[in-house]
Formats: sequence, C-alpha cells, structure tokens
Amino acid sequence: MKKYILLISVLAGLAMQGSAFAAHDHDHSAEVKKVVAPKSDSLFNINDVWTSSEGKQVQLAQFSGKPTVIAMVYTSCQYVCPMIVSDMQKIEKSLSKAENGKVNYAVFSFDPDRDTPEKLKEFASSHRVNQDNWTLATSNASAVRKLAVTLGIKYKKDKSGDFDHDAVITILDSDGVIKYQQSSVGKNMDEATATLKKLMR
Amino acid sequence: MIKVSPRVCKMLLAPVSLLILGATASGGEISFIPDGNYAPFYVKEGSGSSKDKLIRVKAFLLDVHQVTNEEFRQFVSSNNEWRKGNVSKLFADTHYLQHWGEEGKEFSSSEGSKPVVNVSWFAAQSYCESVGKRLPSTDEWEYVLNDMDRNKESVHRSVMDWYAVPNRELPSLVNRPKNGFGISDLVAVVWEWTNDFNNFMVRNDSRDSGSKAAFCGGGSLNVTELDNYAAFMRYSYRSSLQGNFTGRNLGFRCAKDKE
Repeated sequence: MKKYILLISVLAGLAMQGSAFAAHDHDHSAEVKKVVAPKSDSLFNINDVWTSSEGKQVQLAQFSGKPTVIAMVYTSCQYVCPMIVSDMQKIEKSLSKAENGKVNYAVFSFDPDRDTPEKLKEFASSHRVNQDNWTLATSNASAVRKLAVTLGIKYKKDKSGDFDHDAVITILDSDGVIKYQQSSVGKNMDEATATLKKLMR
Repeated sequence: MIKVSPRVCKMLLAPVSLLILGATASGGEISFIPDGNYAPFYVKEGSGSSKDKLIRVKAFLLDVHQVTNEEFRQFVSSNNEWRKGNVSKLFADTHYLQHWGEEGKEFSSSEGSKPVVNVSWFAAQSYCESVGKRLPSTDEWEYVLNDMDRNKESVHRSVMDWYAVPNRELPSLVNRPKNGFGISDLVAVVWEWTNDFNNFMVRNDSRDSGSKAAFCGGGSLNVTELDNYAAFMRYSYRSSLQGNFTGRNLGFRCAKDKE
C-alpha cells in the first residue's frame, strides 16, 4: 500500500510540474488605489445577489467598511451548522456591545432549494441570532458555488438533498480581503476574536 | 502519439450516428450525451451494494473539444474585466494567460487552435456563461470519459504516456480522435476544470478539509478500483486546486443543459 501511495506522489509531482502551485503573491504595493473599485483580491469583486432572511437584497460589497465574520451553512443541517453559528456567537459574546457595532456577521446558505428567507428567519430565531449585525442570506446554485470556491470551502449535495461540507469560519477585513480562516465546530475562538479586534477601526 | 488499433477505430466510428453535432456560438462543436450511469472512482464508504454506488447522469450537451486560444481571445477582447492587466486577483492568479504576448500579438496563428491554458475556474466559468453554456459537473465529465467502458485500456495507456512526459507541446484541436460519445481529448492533452472541482469527497466526522484523508493511507482503500491510478490522479489534482489557480496544463471545455 505504501509503495502505491509513494508512486502516486511521484507521478503527481511529475504531472503537476509547471502548474501554478507556487505561493501566491499578495504584495499590493504596486496597486493603484481607486476610490470605488474594490481591491483586487477583495470578495467585494463578487457581484452575485443574495436574499436575506428579511427579504432584502444582499451583495457582498455592502459589508464594506467593517470587518466581517463569514460562514456557510444550511438550515436543515442537524449538528455541524448550528455548531458553526454557535462558534460565531462565541466571538460575538467575547466582544463588547460597542465592539460588536463595528463588526458584520454573515451566514450564507448552501441550500437554494430549501432555504427560503422565511426558513432563514426561523433558523435565526431558534438559534437566538441577534438580527442587528447579522445577515443570513440565500441565493442560487451558481452564487453558492462561487462563494464556496472563493472561501476554499469544499461541499457536495448528497442524494437526500443534504450537504457534506467543510466547516470554516472566515474573517474579512473592511475591504473584503480574507485575513483569517479557521475550521470550526466547537473550537476555541480566541484567535479569531483577537484577529477581529485588530481589524476594527 | 496515441496509437489507435483497428479494433479501436471501429469502436470510435460506430456510435457517431447517434450524435447531434453542430457549430455553436463559441465556435466549437457540441455533442449530445445521452443519460446513463457510471461508477465513480471514489465512492463513499458503506454506501451499500454496487448498484447504489452508480451515479446517474442526465442527458446533456458537451463541447467536443476544449476552448481554444482563439476562442478565448475573442472572449477577452469583448470582456474588459478578463484582460490580462485587468483581472482581479480574487479571480485569477498572476500566471493568468502568461503564455500570451501583449494585446494584438497574443499568440502566433498556429497557437490559435490549441487549447487555452493558464485560465482560472472563474475565467472558465465566465467564458462558458458568455456563450450561453456552463462548465460540466465532475460527474458529467467523468461519465463521458468513462465512455460506457468502451475502449478503456487505450484510454488508460494514453493517460499513462501523458503522465510520463510532462509539459509536452499542446496539439492543435483540429481533427482529433473522438471517443464513443463523440468527444475528443478529455485526457492526455490538458487537465480540465469542472464546475464542482471543489466537491467534498470524504465522509468523516472531523469535518477537516476534504482532501487529506481521501488521498493518504487508509482513506485510499475506499476507491472502487485501486489500480486505476489515472483516475486517482485526476481526483487528487482537482482536490488540490483553488478557484483562482491557473496552470500551463489546465484548460476547460463547456457544457449545456439539454433543451
């Protein structure tokens, strides 16, 4: 077995030579600052439209100006997704009211078929989500795929309509650039909270 | 060179009468793929009998060949945000279209009919949308490669030849051999993006990122055909990608829902 795995690794190395697997350059020094256009590596470049639990249209760019804590869930999820939300609430609880006024919390659904705005609203109230600085939103399959790809979240819908998915909490700075990611589910959120505090203005 | 035996040729020619071929807005031919089942290389542990492990794929349309440099140049020239200097780092890394020269002199005429490479998932997706299509799903793509088990050995052989000599020069996509579905070069020319390349593939409770457990140690015992390392390579390659990655061996083709 080990030999087999080794052979695969060698082959993989050979075949992937020349592909762009090198570390990516994130130096923005040469970047021209524009007033309106988002930064080149900002999530605000994504212009898909989502619908919030309040029935309002949501685009990522509206989170501009404050750091944002982002996760993806689906509301029929029994165990993992409530834990992700609860991990986000841990961050919220560890900040003062004033600090929380300077943060957005955003939860996006994997499940365009079942997660209607009403469903999201139910989910918010049953998990005691503070609706003031939280956004829960749903969209279509293409927008979900694009956001998941951008956040590096792997997922797959199974035959029953449920989803296998990574549990990840992402923190964006006020320009929409990813600054921190952590796999979630009942973990200590201290590092995430500390990152968030640094990003507040 | 892919050697095609006389037996293989017969198999390639036979199903052509079943195909619907036609020129499309993207310049390429598109072929009708009838619905069917295939057994994926990687299946979940404990998913029951072998019948349950089959994936059902609905009928759809798939481009006969990959999108070419010339086709992609036309797309870029009418979509400013996909010009080399304009593209957002979120959507493509710094190697985006790095094999192209400056505007107006992107490539020599002989390169025009070769598959475009150094394109990210976002770029591929946007190209397909611009011509009224979409990227194929991984299941659709694998189903067409599986080709109802026709010609399996020859496909494996050409893949292994390709793995053995990395970075060989890309061929022009004119008059390429076709598989039983009428589709050319799914393997052994470039790797291809699929819409859901970021599929979650591991069933475990740790909820860590999907790829590691699938491709190391005991996790790899779940594969349906342990000796099929050509497929193993494809799945691990996809799993290593991120949406803004580009590679000199990574291209794409588009698909479309059946109307």
